[in-house]
Amino acid sequence: MDYLINLSILFSIYGILAISLNLLIGYTGLVSLAQAAFYGIGAYAAALLMTKAHMGFFPAMLCGMGLSACAALVIGMVLSKFRGDYYMIASAGCTMIVYNVLMSWREVTNGAIGIFGVPRPAIGDFVFTSNLAFLGLAAAFLVLVMLAAHLIASSSFGRVLKTIREDEDVARIFGYRPLHYKMLIFVISAMMASMAGSLFAVYLMFIDPSTFKLVENVFLLAIIILGGLADNRGALLGTLILIGLPELLRFTGFPTEIAAQMQKVIYGLLLIVLMFLRPQGILGKFRI
Amino acid sequence: MKQFPVIFVAALAVLTFPAFAADKPVVKIGVTAPLTGDNAHLGDGLKNGMSMAKEDLRADTKYDYQLVFEDDGMEAKRTAATTGKLINVDKVDAIMSISSGTGGVVSPIAESSKVIHFGLASAQSVADGDYNFIHWTPPSEEVRTLVSTLEKKGIKTIALLGLNQQGFMAIRDEILKQIEGKNIKVTSDQIINPGEKDFRTAIAKAKADNPDLYVVTFFSPEIEIVTKQMREAGIKDNITSIEAFGLSSEPALFNGMWYVDAAIAESDFNEKFTAKYSKAPTFGTPNSYDVFNMLVNAYEAAGTDSNVKPSHEDVVKKLHEIKDYDGVLGSLTVDEKGVVLSPAAVIVMKDGKPVSENAPEAVEPAAAQ
Amino acid sequence: MDLFFQVFVNSLVIGSLYGAIAMSFALAYRTTRFFNLAHGSMAAIGGYTFFWMRDSLGADFIISLPVGILVAGVAGFLIDRFIYAPQRQRKASSTVLLVVSLGVVTVIEAVLSMVFGPQFRPLVTAEHISSFQIGPVFITQVQVWIIAVNLLIFVGLIALLYKSKFGRMIRAIADDCDVARTLGIRTDYYIGIVFFIAAALAGFVGILNGLDTGLQPTMGFYLLLKGIVASIIGGVGSIPGALLGGFLLAVVENAGVFTIGSEWRDAIAFVLLLVFLAFRPQGILGKGKE
Repeated sequence: MDYLINLSILFSIYGILAISLNLLIGYTGLVSLAQAAFYGIGAYAAALLMTKAHMGFFPAMLCGMGLSACAALVIGMVLSKFRGDYYMIASAGCTMIVYNVLMSWREVTNGAIGIFGVPRPAIGDFVFTSNLAFLGLAAAFLVLVMLAAHLIASSSFGRVLKTIREDEDVARIFGYRPLHYKMLIFVISAMMASMAGSLFAVYLMFIDPSTFKLVENVFLLAIIILGGLADNRGALLGTLILIGLPELLRFTGFPTEIAAQMQKVIYGLLLIVLMFLRPQGILGKFRI
Repeated sequence: MKQFPVIFVAALAVLTFPAFAADKPVVKIGVTAPLTGDNAHLGDGLKNGMSMAKEDLRADTKYDYQLVFEDDGMEAKRTAATTGKLINVDKVDAIMSISSGTGGVVSPIAESSKVIHFGLASAQSVADGDYNFIHWTPPSEEVRTLVSTLEKKGIKTIALLGLNQQGFMAIRDEILKQIEGKNIKVTSDQIINPGEKDFRTAIAKAKADNPDLYVVTFFSPEIEIVTKQMREAGIKDNITSIEAFGLSSEPALFNGMWYVDAAIAESDFNEKFTAKYSKAPTFGTPNSYDVFNMLVNAYEAAGTDSNVKPSHEDVVKKLHEIKDYDGVLGSLTVDEKGVVLSPAAVIVMKDGKPVSENAPEAVEPAAAQ
Repeated sequence: MDLFFQVFVNSLVIGSLYGAIAMSFALAYRTTRFFNLAHGSMAAIGGYTFFWMRDSLGADFIISLPVGILVAGVAGFLIDRFIYAPQRQRKASSTVLLVVSLGVVTVIEAVLSMVFGPQFRPLVTAEHISSFQIGPVFITQVQVWIIAVNLLIFVGLIALLYKSKFGRMIRAIADDCDVARTLGIRTDYYIGIVFFIAAALAGFVGILNGLDTGLQPTMGFYLLLKGIVASIIGGVGSIPGALLGGFLLAVVENAGVFTIGSEWRDAIAFVLLLVFLAFRPQGILGKGKE
């Protein structure tokens, strides 16, 4: 049972990430590979502030989100000049840089060794020690993020984003300034990813840079392309499938040496085949 | 009638092995390790090391020891899930993990669930808490041996080239700490990220200061690449390391060089393992063999009643009492923090085989070969 | 001063690797206008074929080398014919093609890992370490080869593009694929050949890189990332730009390794990329806006 709880926590955290990335890729058409960077910033901000400054989880998470928002403003400014594949390459560069900083700025991040002894969050005297309690917290954040994403998508703000996605010039003709909207959604999305990172750090109670590589972003991309672009339920479905897949393979009888590679083959083929058959993903409404 | 043979075999078993007749309480030992992916060879070594220890176990134990293996691919997010599964689904009594990153994830979970955890890790924080243990020669031990050897050999200047990885960074920090106040200077300190294969500029920079000795700390294959690139840059034999040469798949590259290693496994163990699995033991394999036996010893010593398993608290107490235990890695003692202290040794590479510098008799068979 | 020359030569060697992969990448990019992330995997395919021919079949260097290059080229051709070409016919966006190529890399790396194992394999054993000295600088035979092949690829590609009928055809396709088709040029045929040449060159680079350090299924992706950076800072799609970008990237990286520290190498490379993207997105030799 607790095993399922563990997987559900992981699902909640990656669900938040998938929804945040879907706001960028699905609704706005910005195929960003920088999400892993904000995920990492959030995780490290929480871990460092809680262990070094003995801050509580919630203020630490908010600080992380603030930091991510600032970073997103800078990165977003640089990225806003590009579209399509150039955007992907430039954003991938950002993830590479942040990963390198986490690895090499040892005075602050403790480098490859990572940060030990990150405490679980607490409200007053109640500490989220048990995984069930923690699942409640993670799920609450997931619901919060889903609500926010839903509000954004169904508001006039969301409609402008979709207009920008289809044709930036049209948006401009209607008197909207695409740059402002793109920056705003980029910052919101970064703050959500940062929140997921903080949750991840206190869930594991230990953090090292290995989770925040470019590959993690490719995994997120696969999640939302599979589940469906511009659809929040689709993002969750994709998360469920891709978080569940390796766990299912655990219970099949594949020889272990082959199983992990088979999994990669399946990811790869999924991407190729989906782009042929259903470029918008299972539940998606938009094709990149 | 169909059931007859089954009953017959069962009856025979009851008659011939009375010890097996009563159901022994089961002690489950879980292992979370990379059984797939780029580090699968490490997980494979642990799995075989543990399995071999179980097969070598005497039959008259009070309890039945079982092994459960889970694959975490050495990814932090999957380790949390495998540890949860081992503790909650398989209800294991003890867990073993490899690498500081994995150990860092397992350690707080084991502590809060009161499950014994052995990490094969160099980061000392993995042993935090009552239920966590480390079975890996601590960097401080290895570096102490290195520094005293440097002093003995009269080496004044060293250049450090190391991989940005948990264990090797712990070693680097320890070297910088321990040479303070000694007459040894670090002329250059180069750190290289995993995945990098071009070390030439870092080497050129280190070489410019002309140090007495280069201390290179990498895993295989980087250790071979960096050594080759150093040779190509005209650096000959003044290269040493901690652990790394012993991990190399091309040990002949380091012939004639000395290095410091955690106690190396008895050659009997290596031969037996290689004969059994037709591959050499890897990083951590002998440790896993020792961990299994130390757990068994603690359980057998803590258990007063062969019908009831001792509590984890009692087993932990017995683990702390282990002193001068004769493991395949030599004489082992558990300290108060839960770190299994095994001696570090100066090793010389001779004909592609690591030989202890203080044991000249060990040289002869290698030379005779 | 000796140190300066050594670091310069090191940059020259690494810059040649970056430049060679960037030039082959640029050849395909200028014709099809998408970031083919699977291009680096062609280097791995070439390297592993060479390795397999040499060590398992005991074939001679003279035979394994062209076979390795050829197999990489054929792989590139087939991937284009069966995966990219149908997408092009559907007028897929460059982002879709990029995602597809990401899928292709993942599959190729996993298959290579299943067949040859995920571990790194050195192609040169301990006995074969040799280098020679030119003045104060140490250099190996393979490194000389890398520099020479890089220049050879440059001259060859320039000659192919600007001095042959084939070159005129693919330049026409690069300018406007649809117009070229209406003019009766068999565009898919020519693009297929372009992919063959680009992949074969990548395979050559993979073999040289393997001989210099070794092989790993994931080697191509890392090399290609640097190749793409080189290509963008030189001017994307431009062959001389790729050559120049490779050298510039290597010089900046090595200067960074030398002054700041080797652990910052990747950050330096990608900051350089972002600086170029922000202030001169068309690259050194690019002409105006894309």
